[in-house]
Amino acid sequence: MANKKEKHSFLSRLFGNRNKIMDSMIEEQVQSPGRMMLSNFLHNKLGMTGLIVFLCIFLFVLIGPYFFPLDLGYSDNTQSNVPPTNNMMTLPDGLKNNVKAIAPGTTFGVGCDNDGNVYIWGYTKITDVIDLANIPDEVKEAHIVDVAAGYDHVTALDDEGNLYVWGNTRLGQDMVPSELKPSRLSGPKNIVQIEAGYQFSGALDDQGNVYFWGNGNMADLDVKKDYQGHVKKFAISTYNYCLLLDDGSVVYGGLQASNAFTNIPANLSSGVVDIAASGDTMAAVSEDGTITVWGNSTHGETNVPQTESKPVDIYGGRYHYTALMENGDVISWGDNTHGQASVPDSVNNGEISTVFAGFYQNYAVTTDGDVKTWGLKGHALGTDDLGRDILTRIVNGGKTTMTVGAISVIIAIFIGVLLGGIAGYFGGKADMLIMRIAEIVGGLPFLPFALLLSAIIGTRVSVEMRMYLIMVVLGVLSWTGICRLIRAQILAEREKEFVVAAKAMGVREITIVFKHILPNVLSILLVEATLNFATCMLTESSLSYLGFGIAPPTPTWGNMLTGANNSVVIQQYWWRWVFPASIFGICTICINLMGDAIRDAVDPKSSER
Amino acid sequence: MAKYVLKRIGYLVVVFFIVSFLMYSLYNLIPSDPARAQLEEQKKSLKPEVYEQMYQDLRREMGLDDPLLLRYARWIGVAPDVNGEFNGLFEGNLGYSIFFKKNVIECIAEPIQTTIFINIFATILALGITIPLGIFCAVHKGSKFDNGVQVFTIIGYSIPVYIIALVFIFLFAVVWRIFPVSGMKTPGSNYTGLRAVVDQLYYFALPLIVMTFGSLGGMTRYVRASMIDALSMDHIRTARAKGVREKVVIYSHAWRNALLPVITLIISWFLGIFSGSVIIENTFNINGMGSLYIKALNNHDYELALAMQMFYTVVSLIGALITDLSYGLVDPRVRIDK
Repeated sequence: MANKKEKHSFLSRLFGNRNKIMDSMIEEQVQSPGRMMLSNFLHNKLGMTGLIVFLCIFLFVLIGPYFFPLDLGYSDNTQSNVPPTNNMMTLPDGLKNNVKAIAPGTTFGVGCDNDGNVYIWGYTKITDVIDLANIPDEVKEAHIVDVAAGYDHVTALDDEGNLYVWGNTRLGQDMVPSELKPSRLSGPKNIVQIEAGYQFSGALDDQGNVYFWGNGNMADLDVKKDYQGHVKKFAISTYNYCLLLDDGSVVYGGLQASNAFTNIPANLSSGVVDIAASGDTMAAVSEDGTITVWGNSTHGETNVPQTESKPVDIYGGRYHYTALMENGDVISWGDNTHGQASVPDSVNNGEISTVFAGFYQNYAVTTDGDVKTWGLKGHALGTDDLGRDILTRIVNGGKTTMTVGAISVIIAIFIGVLLGGIAGYFGGKADMLIMRIAEIVGGLPFLPFALLLSAIIGTRVSVEMRMYLIMVVLGVLSWTGICRLIRAQILAEREKEFVVAAKAMGVREITIVFKHILPNVLSILLVEATLNFATCMLTESSLSYLGFGIAPPTPTWGNMLTGANNSVVIQQYWWRWVFPASIFGICTICINLMGDAIRDAVDPKSSER
Repeated sequence: MAKYVLKRIGYLVVVFFIVSFLMYSLYNLIPSDPARAQLEEQKKSLKPEVYEQMYQDLRREMGLDDPLLLRYARWIGVAPDVNGEFNGLFEGNLGYSIFFKKNVIECIAEPIQTTIFINIFATILALGITIPLGIFCAVHKGSKFDNGVQVFTIIGYSIPVYIIALVFIFLFAVVWRIFPVSGMKTPGSNYTGLRAVVDQLYYFALPLIVMTFGSLGGMTRYVRASMIDALSMDHIRTARAKGVREKVVIYSHAWRNALLPVITLIISWFLGIFSGSVIIENTFNINGMGSLYIKALNNHDYELALAMQMFYTVVSLIGALITDLSYGLVDPRVRIDK
């Protein structure tokens, strides 16, 4: 037989065809115990499925964070509790090639076509009962020429000068001032511009008068009388507005004496051609093409890119600006979390006639009527109550959870093997002492004790230290099982002949324990480590779920589920718990399946059972 | 047997003192000063020297400057306190809760009943299902039913109990509206007698189902494994060869042997469920020991937390004792060995 030995590559050994029928004698001779275990494991369908799925999840959370980087401080109240969607920028068919106006809202878009029809798309539910998609009948009948989208309401203008507001109207968003209503005396008002902000709207008539209405608690809705009749354009930020007057100057129109916008840069006193506002800043374009940004810049709104061509129009999103150049090019800058500042190449290849930007979306209309979009499409797995993307948190949380699990297991194995080895081999007083300690530690009520340690020590250290602390606590509390197992195995192994032989050769005792005996218990250790890994992950997540583990904002699969135990979240915001719970469940199931399969592979007797 | 029992009890008493000392020193790591806290209100109205004098007096009165071991002995009730009285754990003084502003013993009187009730109830339910199921699977090992149960149990013990709770709340309380989402009794109700019991059971039903369901997986697997071990023993073959009826073989010859590991498991699992009910009680807003413990930790009410921690320790020690004793009862060999 020895002369008929075939050469195998490593790959074919691992995955090659091994259907050759061997009688039991040959099989015994050819297969080493290690290979036997491997082949046993490979033939266990459940175990292999577990391994493959686990590896997929593992790679997902290992590589994922590079694609979905986590910003710990991120939160966004406009995106809170949004279900899984990807249609926030999907134009309805009727609007394609027929766009009159588009207004991007927080999680929705609203638009009207040249025939006066209104369309709304994206996630339109504001509350249980308020849904922006329920367009009022009067709006459907009217010939709408312009639309504006606020945080939770939509304002529309028809060709007769009537204004319509729907959505959340509880705070006076629909209290259109009487001056704007068509009257018998002066006939219909000619409204030239409408905009909407946080629970308020504004309109400009052709006489240069501007009016604001809505919730004035947060927003500065009053207009200084001096400016009325001279307004050319106005721009609305979240709570404030600025006016572009007919003499080319920019002024702050409200009555608030000082805020981020009142201090208007000196170069804007004349020659301004266009103004726009983001959430917390304002921007103006001068005749010579310079763009000036002022206000509370938090996301790089002031970093205006240098361009060869002259910007002529400017549009503001929530944290970004988009400008249309003289040569038809489009540039965007500012916050790029959702890709709203990355203009696609296809936009600059075409001739752009106008751009509609708002919140996180940009719609560029080409001269032949086509609409190009860039920005936030939606959230694949929805968002949580602070507007954070669930997918990003799952990916990064998985990394934390697995790291914590793995390191705790390593600590547990280290302590367990060391103490178990000493106890098992040396016996006597050392054994007695170690096993009593193991009994005491094992007898401590695990979860309350871990809670206690985390509460006492965890509150006084930084978030990062706390994470290491959890790892150590889990490791220190869960070594007893491994210790007992190793001890029992070593007790059995140390009576065998090879140990006697090693002793006779004069090998040092410590070397016998850790070099001669330990490899024999390695396979069982592997089983225990795998199963322990799942347990540690479970414990960490339970601690985090109770609020005593890894503290938010660092995500873990456990603390993502904190606060999910009320009926509102369970029912209405199902995506907040279903996704983390299922990936975590699948992960632990796979690890346990793997552990079981390794156990079956290691212990040949178990397959007979 | 008596000697064996005494030995075990003696050992556990030693462990109790070690563990409780450990706990006490852990809680003493917390930088808190009850003397200063008590004087805080009067601080403004007093002169600094007078305040300092009162503070030092109070510290001495409270025995805060004494060595840790002495303070521990006082707390546990084996050493006289400053007034020369024994007033510690053993005398029934569990401390004073600064959050609830009453004695710890009053705080835990009601929660402890709730917790013990739901835990014992869940244990009985779980045992009633898992033991027959485990035996059946072991006897019909390899059948389709067995394989199905195997997969199901892996899922059962892999998923954390709070996820099971969320799914069950979703199904039973939100979709089908059979059970209430959380709470202990109908809000605003003032039922008495049987009506109150039924109402409470109605509210406890979902937590109990979740607890039972959460422990099915591990238990069934364990019962099955030890039963298979027992069934593969030689004496079973002998019994069958003698023509003993299959029922007798299974329930008398095999099950008696499988009982020993199962008892270990039941006890340790019973303890596990006690700590596991921390999660259940928090999820379902049940006023039990678990939620009280979390409340105590969250509000830095450490005297209460320490007392509750001792409760969990005592429960686990009693569990260990029962395990040992039942070993002795079930398996005569243990008694002789020791």
